[in-house]
Amino acid sequence: MNLIVRITIIFVVVSLVVFAIGGVISFNIMMGEVQYEQRRFLEERLDRVENMIERRAPEDTIRWAKMIVYPLADIQAEKMVFSDTLVLHAQLGRIEPHLRLDAIKNHNNRSYAISLYDVIIEEDDIRDGLNTSLITMYLILLGAVLIIGLVASYFILRPFNLTLAQIKTFSLKDPNNGMILPKSGVSEFKRLNRFLHEMTEKVRSDYRSLKEFSENASHEFQTPIAIIQTKLEVLLNNDRLSMEEVEQLSAIQRATRRLSNMSNALALLTKIENNEFSEASDVAISKLLLNLLEEFKELFELKGLKLSSTLSEDVHLNSNEVLIELMFTNLINNAIRHNWEGGSVSVVLNESTFTITNTGNPLHVDPSELFRRFKKSNQSDQSMGLGLAIVKKICDFNGYTIEYRFAEEKHTVQITFRPSKQSV
Amino acid sequence: MKLLLVEDQAELAKSVKMYFMAEGDVCEVAPTFAKAVEKLYAFQYDVMLLDLMLPDGNGMDLLESVRTNWPGLGVIIISAKNALDDKLKGLELGADDYLPKPFHLAELNARSKAVYRRRKEGGQKGIGFNEIQINLETREVAVNEKILDLTRKEYDLLHYIIVNQKRLLTKQAIAEHLWGDYMDTADSFDFVYQHIKNVRKKIVEAGGKDYIKTVYGVGYKLKEEE
Repeated sequence: MNLIVRITIIFVVVSLVVFAIGGVISFNIMMGEVQYEQRRFLEERLDRVENMIERRAPEDTIRWAKMIVYPLADIQAEKMVFSDTLVLHAQLGRIEPHLRLDAIKNHNNRSYAISLYDVIIEEDDIRDGLNTSLITMYLILLGAVLIIGLVASYFILRPFNLTLAQIKTFSLKDPNNGMILPKSGVSEFKRLNRFLHEMTEKVRSDYRSLKEFSENASHEFQTPIAIIQTKLEVLLNNDRLSMEEVEQLSAIQRATRRLSNMSNALALLTKIENNEFSEASDVAISKLLLNLLEEFKELFELKGLKLSSTLSEDVHLNSNEVLIELMFTNLINNAIRHNWEGGSVSVVLNESTFTITNTGNPLHVDPSELFRRFKKSNQSDQSMGLGLAIVKKICDFNGYTIEYRFAEEKHTVQITFRPSKQSV
Repeated sequence: MKLLLVEDQAELAKSVKMYFMAEGDVCEVAPTFAKAVEKLYAFQYDVMLLDLMLPDGNGMDLLESVRTNWPGLGVIIISAKNALDDKLKGLELGADDYLPKPFHLAELNARSKAVYRRRKEGGQKGIGFNEIQINLETREVAVNEKILDLTRKEYDLLHYIIVNQKRLLTKQAIAEHLWGDYMDTADSFDFVYQHIKNVRKKIVEAGGKDYIKTVYGVGYKLKEEE
C-alpha cells in the first residue's frame, strides 16, 4: 500500500468521525436556535395579544387563527407555559405537531387565558436535511481527496519516484552510470537527493579504490614472490647443500608457489566481480569438454580413476570462453583431487546441465559452506580452497545454478545452464 | 645464447643473470627502457626477456620498436600482470612467448632456448645428453638411435630435464611445467614421480644409462653417472 493511499484512508476515516460528531453538534445547535426563535415568535404574538386586550378587553372567547383568548371567571396569577400539542394543519389538512404557549394575563382586575400555537419545524425534518447535506459534503470531500491523492502521488511524488528509479538502475560496476537525480522544489526531496548523491559518490569512490587496491595488490605481490622464487632456485642449485637444507628450500618453494597462486586466484575472483570478463562469445562446450578430458586423461590414469563420460553433441553456451574453461577445469581437477586411488569419475553433459560425480570421503564441512572462499573439507589439505569459490562465482556471473549432493560415497556437482525444456 | 634482460627489479635481474651465466650463456641487464634501447643499438642479442612495467616506459612500446628495428630478435615477455589481455596483445605485437611472474628459472631457461632455436636459422634440430638424443622437429627421442615410445607428457618431461641438464629440478617446477598453474596439489608430485619412473624405465630398456638422479626426494637432476 503506498503512502498516499494510506494517508487518504486515514483522512477518510478521520473525516467520517469528524462529520458524524459535527452532525450531532450542528443538529443540537440548530434545534436550540429553532426552538428559541419559535418561542420568541410566540412571545411576540403574546405581546401583541396583550396590547389588544389592553385596548379592548374581550368579553367573550375570541378565536383567531392559531389563537384563543378568553376571560376567566376569577383572578389568577399570571403565568406562561410552553407545551407541545397536535393540531390539524389548515393547509396540509393533517395533524401536525405544534408549539403551544398558554398564558394567563391580568388586566383591569380580570384574568385572561391566552393560548397561542404555531406549527413547529420538526426534528425529523432538520435531521433529514442535515444528513442529506452532510453526506453530500462528505462525498464531495471524498472525491476531492481521492483526486488530490492521485494527482499528488503523480506530481508531488514524481521527483521521489524518479529518484527511486535512479536508485534501482544504479550500478557500482558501471562507471558511466552516474545518478542523475531529478530537481525538486520540495525540501525533503532535495535533502534526500543530496544525501543520495553524496552517498553514491562515496560508495563509488570507495569501491573504485578497493578494486584498484585488490588488482594492484595481486600484481605487486608477484614481483617479490618472483624474487624469492628465483633466489631459491639459484640456492637449490648449490651442490654443497645438505639434504635438510634442500628439503627446507623446497618447502619454501612450495609455499611461495601457493602464495602466488592464491593471490592470482583472488585477483581472478575480483576481476569476475568487476565484470572484466563480460566479453561473451559462442562457446562449443561439448568440444571444449572433450578436449579437457583428453588433457586430463593421463591424470585419471595415474590415479587409477575410471572415467565415464556421456556428452551430448553440439551443446553451446554464450559466455566468456576463458571463464567456462576455467569452470570445467576446476571441477574436473576437484573430482580427481578429492578422489580415492582407483575411484571413479562420471561426467554428463546435456543441453541444460553439466553433472560431475566422483567417489570420495564425505565432507567435514556443511555443504552450503562448500562454495565459500577458503572453505576446505580438510584444513590440512594443500589446496587453496578457492577452486569451488571461483566456480560458484562464474556460475553466478553467468546466471547458472550450481548444486552439490553427497550420496553413497559419491560427490555430485551439477550446474544448470538454463531451465530444462520440460519445465518451460 | 646472448640474452638481454629488461627488468627494473635489481634482485630479480641478478638471479636470472646468475642462472644463465652458470649455463654458459651471456645475459646482460637493462633496468630501463632507455638503457635497453641503448644496448640493442650497441650489441647483438638472440633473445630479449622483457618486463612490461618499466620505470620510464611501457614494455609494449619497446616490443613494437624491436619488431620494426630488430626483427630477428626473440622476445619473451615476463610480467607480473597475469592478464590475458596483455598476453594476447604481446603475442599479437610479435612476442614469441609470455611468462607470468613468478616463474621457475628452469622454465625461463627452457623457453629461452626454445625461442633461440626457433629464431636461429639453420640452428640445432636436436639436443641431447650422451646417448639420449631429442629431435625437436619430429619430437622423437632416440637412445642409441633406437626411438623411444613416449607419451606426450613423457616427451615434455624428458625434454625439460635435458634442456635443464645438470640442474636440480624440483618436483614443483616439473609439475608446473607439465600441467601449468592449476596442478597445485600433493597429487601432482606423485604424478611427476610416476612419469619419471616410466621415462627411466623406457631409457634403460632401450639400453641407455639412468642419468636421472633423485635429489633428496625433492627433485631430480640429469647428470653423468659417477
